[in-house]
Amino acid sequence: MNRLLSGLFWISLCLILAFITLPLLVVVAASLSPSSTVTFSPADWTMKWYAALWASKWLDPFILSAKIAVIVSLVSGVLGALGAYAIAYEKCPGSEAIMAFLLSPLAVPQIVKGVAIVIFLSSAGLYALLGTPGLIAAHIVLTLPFAARMIATSIYNFDKNLDRAAQILGASKWQRIRHVLLPLIKPGVFSGMTFAFIISFNNIPLSVFLVRPGQTTLPITVINYMEYSLDPVLAAVNVASLIFILATIFLFEKLGGFSAQIHGGSK
Amino acid sequence: MNDIDIELICVRKTYGNNLVVNDINLAIPKGEFVSLLGPSGCGKTTTLNMIAGFQEPTGGEIRIRGRNQAGVPPEKRNIGLVFQNYALFPHMTVAENVGFGLKMKGTPRAEIEQTVRTALKSVHLEGLEARYPKELSGGQQQRTALARAIAPRPSVLLLDEPLSNLDLKLREAMRVELKEIQQQLGMTFVYVTHDQEEAMAMSDRVVVMSGGVITQEDKPEHIYNAPRTSFVADFIGKSNIFAVSLRPAADDRQEIVINGSSIALAIAADQPKVATAKFCCIRPEDVRVVGNDVSAKDANVLDGTICKTVNLGAHLDLWIAVDRDIMIKALVRSSRSNQLKVGNPVSISIAPAAIRLLAE
Amino acid sequence: MTIVATDSPAAPARRAFTLRGYVPLFPPFAVLLLFFAVPIGMMIGISVQDPKTSQFSMASYQRFLTDGLIIAGLFRTILMSGLVAICVTVMAYPVAYFLARSTSRWRAVVFALAIAPELAGVVLRTYGWLIILEDRGFVNDALIWLGFVSSPLPLAKNLFGVVVGLTHVVLPFGILALLTSIQGIDPNIEKAAQILGASRLSVIRHILLPLSIPGIVSSLLISFTMAASAYATPALLGGARFKVLATMIFEQIMFYINWPMAAVMAIVLLVLMLAITFAGGRVETRLHKKLNI
Repeated sequence: MNRLLSGLFWISLCLILAFITLPLLVVVAASLSPSSTVTFSPADWTMKWYAALWASKWLDPFILSAKIAVIVSLVSGVLGALGAYAIAYEKCPGSEAIMAFLLSPLAVPQIVKGVAIVIFLSSAGLYALLGTPGLIAAHIVLTLPFAARMIATSIYNFDKNLDRAAQILGASKWQRIRHVLLPLIKPGVFSGMTFAFIISFNNIPLSVFLVRPGQTTLPITVINYMEYSLDPVLAAVNVASLIFILATIFLFEKLGGFSAQIHGGSK
Repeated sequence: MNDIDIELICVRKTYGNNLVVNDINLAIPKGEFVSLLGPSGCGKTTTLNMIAGFQEPTGGEIRIRGRNQAGVPPEKRNIGLVFQNYALFPHMTVAENVGFGLKMKGTPRAEIEQTVRTALKSVHLEGLEARYPKELSGGQQQRTALARAIAPRPSVLLLDEPLSNLDLKLREAMRVELKEIQQQLGMTFVYVTHDQEEAMAMSDRVVVMSGGVITQEDKPEHIYNAPRTSFVADFIGKSNIFAVSLRPAADDRQEIVINGSSIALAIAADQPKVATAKFCCIRPEDVRVVGNDVSAKDANVLDGTICKTVNLGAHLDLWIAVDRDIMIKALVRSSRSNQLKVGNPVSISIAPAAIRLLAE
Repeated sequence: MTIVATDSPAAPARRAFTLRGYVPLFPPFAVLLLFFAVPIGMMIGISVQDPKTSQFSMASYQRFLTDGLIIAGLFRTILMSGLVAICVTVMAYPVAYFLARSTSRWRAVVFALAIAPELAGVVLRTYGWLIILEDRGFVNDALIWLGFVSSPLPLAKNLFGVVVGLTHVVLPFGILALLTSIQGIDPNIEKAAQILGASRLSVIRHILLPLSIPGIVSSLLISFTMAASAYATPALLGGARFKVLATMIFEQIMFYINWPMAAVMAIVLLVLMLAITFAGGRVETRLHKKLNI
């Protein structure tokens, strides 16, 4: 009986993991397959779909998405750090209510936020903001709560005695922020920014309302194309953007060292 | 009054209705090693935090080198502080940690390096400059914290239970070393601890606190030999404390009766007069176990039965029942453990001079 | 030591909080007010306007309640989200249990496998499922080649396809929710039950499941809300035949240019979310109290 149960457990675990990885493997295989029929034999594989990506049709949306994601992650990082600082470090009165307000966009589905922003921009006569500026603003609203929460968590985890130690050693408030607080919460700030980057780069539900011709993000370009065809070039686009995201995470990790935080040590 | 480094005048701290520190007065002369000793919640840490400036007193005044510190933030007080958990900056090397205070003051780099080297030398940490705190042992972290606190040459160093995270051997070694460093630097040390041995071993003066007030402040040996209250007697070292009543005895002398029993003990004539003595304190090492051969010169001889023995290595702790409800602790050399078994009848003798009367 | 009487008044509390502490909050607040709070307010305002005349009107709310197609869409949303919540929780449980209890080096691999798809974004995964599930996709080709079926099974562009795709999207969040809960259960409790003679099955039934109910509830909750508010997966895997609230909202904005109707649908979706989150939160706190955790 026990053996049967544990056998069932391992089989179900393997099946679930297969379920999780299957679509990813299929997409990678499709991106390398010569025709629209997916093949898993490496002998037939080709890079031609990747070569086809080097065209403004795909490059322009990619550059736009990357540009927006970089701006969004920087702005969310700075705004999130400011909010988290006031709440978690200064512990200003009412900090819990303030945190709840900063996190409130999380309670609203993205599609609802999208409708609200598109109605706001259109009826407030801000048509000019549709496209890139609107995308940036909407993505900031989306990612700011995540960044604020992550940075606030790392400030809460920051040992207040270190601040007092610096203080008794004669460090002014700015010196303490610059030499003690910031270096120690840097991993939190960078993981917040990485999160913001990924969410912005992959976003569909907000972007779908805000793109305009010539200012279309990569995921929206892909889903528009998918309406007509499931061409393997789409697989190549998807794999390429996944690689781009992984490279970005790697870069942010190098700069901010947030995996050290996850593993519970610094340096 | 120029030689007074720290002065607390009627300092009081309340949190809401909670009185944590109750009108404390204390003056600490320059170069003294003072311990604030007491159980947790006695107000010693709050007092330390008020001296450091992390907490503002609710009432009274704190003066450092004669200057009122009201409204002066910690960073302007020129005080050193060693934290219980060391609070070393994890992202800085040992040298960067130690040089931090000087760097914040804008000291030139060469001078910082020189001072860091001296500070590390005085705590015997040469050669570890480039290590990060994570790569140090507990003792090394402790020394780094000490070096960091003394490097900017503060006039006063506050230490908040700095040895409590070390193991016993290291703790005892560090006691000696801390005292040496303090004497070399001639710096005023204010040492907060709940460990009475630590306080006794290092301090020039021990300030015993309980319930937010100072119960007794004196030299360590006086605190031990002449506790003023039953709290101090109980907290410092081991002792037998009994509620007693005074009554006159022969030869114009006085004796005490342990309340609830018929045991009467003669007390020394030169016993400081405590008009309203309510308790007496007898140190276990002053209780002589005389076995059965009681000689005439033994005073205050009591007969009892051994109830419990605990072997402490060199010494033996004995609990001796001398009356139905009266238990007296005695400390004897372990070499006598063969004769002193649980259940054996013994006689004990207590010299009148070893009995101290306490008012409260 | 003479004690000098002090005539200086008690020092004012230096730590008193000044308004300067709020200054860093201005920029994030400004952004959230302008691009979140104000738009939501305007959306609520638009929802009570007549689509043509812009006069005050509850017509869109009335239509929502009476239009069979819209009500069907609402129920489809709830059905889809409920199925996703159940599938996710059932599938997440073994993975979370493994991650919570395993000490082997496979743990890191499984953790990476479980969480990594989240980096890939919804488009890639949806695209993957499309080429697996569509009429001339992977699965149907295989089934036909093997001779199990003669014509392709309808696997995409319907409820089945959407539930598969959404389960894949939401699964990592279910795993994390359950992982937190199972990690909170002392493994010694399970060992104690085994020592007392309980079989593996009774340990699961009497120890593990009851103690992880809060985790199960939070997994169901997060899966339901994520599925109900998902847009891209239903849009791509459901197609024109399988419409849910999120895709219907998009149509109202982009095709019918009926803002009041879109606003009403968005508000209904938002209220549904908040109600579920609130009710689930109540259940969770009650369970936590009951289980004393």
